[in-house]
Amino acid sequence: MPILNIQLTGAIETPDGKRVTLSGQAALLQRGPVVQVSISVGQAIAQQVLQQGGELPPPVAGLALIDTGATTTCIDEEAAQVLKLPAIDVVTVASASHASSERNVYPISIEVVGLPIVVNAPRSIGAELKAQGLLLLIGRDVLQSCVLVYNGPAGLFTLTL
Amino acid sequence: MLDKERAYFSAHAAEWGSIHPGAFVVVKDESLVGAYATIDEALAGGAHEFGLQAFLVRQLGAPPERITIPALTLGLLRADS
Repeated sequence: MPILNIQLTGAIETPDGKRVTLSGQAALLQRGPVVQVSISVGQAIAQQVLQQGGELPPPVAGLALIDTGATTTCIDEEAAQVLKLPAIDVVTVASASHASSERNVYPISIEVVGLPIVVNAPRSIGAELKAQGLLLLIGRDVLQSCVLVYNGPAGLFTLTL
Repeated sequence: MLDKERAYFSAHAAEWGSIHPGAFVVVKDESLVGAYATIDEALAGGAHEFGLQAFLVRQLGAPPERITIPALTLGLLRADS
């Protein structure tokens, strides 16, 4: 069973311009449990397209935040367009800050860098994540197949698939 | 997106559900393309016909999806002091 241990490090710039190195604990507090991922169209679709001689856009790489509060994985909408992901449904997402909006649902494959496994998330929701520096929110639909250990004092987390 | 397909699904879901209970169906325009045992089979079936075009995939008889993404819906992904 592949295990990925991630120890975060980081630095911040103080108001007077000094660069201060963060402890692992502080880095994990600031950034949350993030992993490097590579996203492509869901495997079931990719296989069909390739069998028919079609071409697929190259995978898109970026940061994914593990979000245990989210039932469903979300992919950045702009990345979904770059990947030419086919929408397979539409869902309505309510918001506390603005009117409810309809979001496309996309089938994606997720490769977590450092883990030799590709995870399918067949109903990922398109959302504007790029402005937050994120490509993906990994929700409980993916986490239901994982073991996640969050070690705050040590500033590390472990993901097992 | 998929307005026509969603309306067609809503109009026919009960009827299809009695024939293919629990199946994942693929709908394109106003046509039922197929009913499949798994979502992967449905995605493959849809992609076989339509490649990377949009098509609707839904499970018959499934309870309404309850999606909660607090970080997104509350706009709490990042806040600066």
